[in-house]
Amino acid sequence: MTIQTKTSRRKFLAQAGATSLGFTIVPSSVLASPAPSDRLNFGHIGIGGRGRRFLRPLAQLDEPAVQWQNLGGPGDRVLRPALSVALCDIDASRLDLAATAVGGRPRLYKDFRRLLEQRDIDAVFIAAPDHWHALMTIMACQAGKDVYVEKPASKTVEEGRAMVTATERYGRVVQVGSQGRSQETAYSACKYIQNGQIGRVREVKCWHYENPRGDWTPDSDPPDGLDYDRWIGPARHVPYNETRTHGRFRWMLDFGGGQIRDRGAHVMSIAQWIMDADYTGPVSVETTGEPHHDGMYDTPQEMTVTYEFKDPDWTLIWAQPGEPSTEIEARYGAVYHGDSDRLTVTYGDRHTTDTEQKAKDYKIPHGGVEPYHSPGHGEDFEDCIRSREKPIMHIESAHRVATLCILGNISFRLRRKLEWDPVNERVKNDEEANRLLSRPGRGPWHL
Amino acid sequence: MPTTEEFLAEIQSDDEDVRYAAWSIAEQMDPAVIPALSELLLADEPGVRKAAAEALNNIVHSVGKEVDALALRAAAGRAEASESDKRQAVVKELLSLLGSERQEAERVMALRQLSLIATVDAVPAIAELAPDRNLREEVVFCLERIPGKTSEDALLGALANADDDFKPRVLAALGHRQAEEAMSACLEAMKSPDATLAMAGMKAAARIGGRVGGELRLPDYDALSEWHKTEFTDSLLRYADAQVEKGNPNGAWPIYRQVLEREEEHWQCAAIVAIAKIGTAEAAAAIFPKLRSDDSTVRITAQKTWERMSKPSEA
Repeated sequence: MTIQTKTSRRKFLAQAGATSLGFTIVPSSVLASPAPSDRLNFGHIGIGGRGRRFLRPLAQLDEPAVQWQNLGGPGDRVLRPALSVALCDIDASRLDLAATAVGGRPRLYKDFRRLLEQRDIDAVFIAAPDHWHALMTIMACQAGKDVYVEKPASKTVEEGRAMVTATERYGRVVQVGSQGRSQETAYSACKYIQNGQIGRVREVKCWHYENPRGDWTPDSDPPDGLDYDRWIGPARHVPYNETRTHGRFRWMLDFGGGQIRDRGAHVMSIAQWIMDADYTGPVSVETTGEPHHDGMYDTPQEMTVTYEFKDPDWTLIWAQPGEPSTEIEARYGAVYHGDSDRLTVTYGDRHTTDTEQKAKDYKIPHGGVEPYHSPGHGEDFEDCIRSREKPIMHIESAHRVATLCILGNISFRLRRKLEWDPVNERVKNDEEANRLLSRPGRGPWHL
Repeated sequence: MPTTEEFLAEIQSDDEDVRYAAWSIAEQMDPAVIPALSELLLADEPGVRKAAAEALNNIVHSVGKEVDALALRAAAGRAEASESDKRQAVVKELLSLLGSERQEAERVMALRQLSLIATVDAVPAIAELAPDRNLREEVVFCLERIPGKTSEDALLGALANADDDFKPRVLAALGHRQAEEAMSACLEAMKSPDATLAMAGMKAAARIGGRVGGELRLPDYDALSEWHKTEFTDSLLRYADAQVEKGNPNGAWPIYRQVLEREEEHWQCAAIVAIAKIGTAEAAAAIFPKLRSDDSTVRITAQKTWERMSKPSEA
């Protein structure tokens, strides 16, 4: 199915929906009988700061349009009704808050496997810490659920590939939350560059501010209501420490991986998309950098990662702090350097993604390259639940982006350059680096 | 370069920049410094603990890459110890930290570092710790990472002697390693009345995908929990996929046909996707009825796989 066809079909569905009263009802003539249920039922695993944004409350069920928050797109869609029918969190306080926000009677769980057993759930949103993303996604596929999982896709290369395998095995739809590709401005930048407006791109230079340092706090008992053993899950055990859990785990290499994995998953996702590198990878990765000299966190204070790609030849650089763009002021982003010009794309997440006016004004000529134009990240996911098409940030592309981030950190830890085989997904001539591509699971949590 | 005493003093400095400078060059120190660094993992001052840990990391990582020792010596024009000799020295020092006289935190650190650079020679010393309830998780983690039959044999030994509550963990490690020799142990575990152990055996067997000779006793499906039922069918599919990969599609067909007729759409979809990969006329005949399934997801999945099957394969 061509991109043109897919876009046209989606426009048709949206228009068909817009003519209905109140709820969006897909005419049964669009799909062979019987027509699908009008309402999507969602389950949610991990309902912290990020996870709460995906909730679909009962109070909004009758609204004619529910726009996804911060997930891009032109915002002109009328969405189908959806309801959060099941919530799961290992922190009882978060579960209670979310249940109140949703209203009605969502079923509440502390064990995500019980949530996955619930048969009336169409799709799950996974916003647990990074080290849980892979296993939860795989298990959700096994349970027949489509998945929206937060970025970064995985902690290890092995996990990422296992997610791809599970998605394909079960014919599931998995959208990863690098919503930059669904931003209008990112789309503008993509069409501008893919239609040769800056010439052949030789180098993409990303910049981002440094990682935080972390104070020293003593290890302690976990708070009441937090199932810490379940929080650790498949990762190696460390004693509970408040500076290492909710939200701040991302500054520990064992759980998160620093800004390269957090924001890099956004900025480099757009770069990978624009450079049409979703099914490949670099041939070498080299990181230089310096860790914080003190403090709890072990992600680098500053780092520069150089990725060399071949056929076509180009270089991707992730730098903290790096060199901010002189065209658009922003805390992070990327500058695309072509033979004839350059273009800045800032951020890559949220609605703050921006690019230069010349790209926004650009119109694709007849016969030009037309990148896929996402209606919005959440909208795209919901479309694909029905169409069974791959979403814009499908798991293979997300796995490849996560691999960039993972390799950058491995090179930093080992303090040496890695020669990477993107086809077999192995490091050449480096036994230790290859052992770091996977991580045996703790307790009952295994791929 | 500092002496060992100077180096250890710098690791314990009050000045974080001095500590950082020391740990940055730790790989230049003699591996004999490892036990002293290990003791500093238990220092009162967290900055010192961090410096010691990072120094240990750098020492270990410095020997983690396989390098042709002769070429290295030839390129450097020197006759001192090759990297692989140094690697052996580092491993030796880490192994010395496994003794019961060391603190648990040191032994855990040593096992985690060994998981990155140890080879089969280190396996016996590591496997000796398998019965220790406080260390067994780390031991299995470590063995799971060391390539080679010796570590798989060690895992099998650990399985035989493990408490029942830990057998699933060891079975998972053997499944992850796709250890062919563990197949019979997995099939034996599947006979257990303990559903967790039986399913652990089944999952591992599915991942190994070895041929099953003789009587096969699957866990009692109806007695399983809901989640175990999911794992049961997933394991059947993985096992069937393994048969196809090994050139034995006849071993997969009965499983695929059974799963294809399940009520749940995702099992049907999984069977459709798997059968399509076989790509024969028989496969097409099995998928064809699903093109008119009442379930739209099944129908669309069948349509898409049908389209892929009818296209010539890409070069």
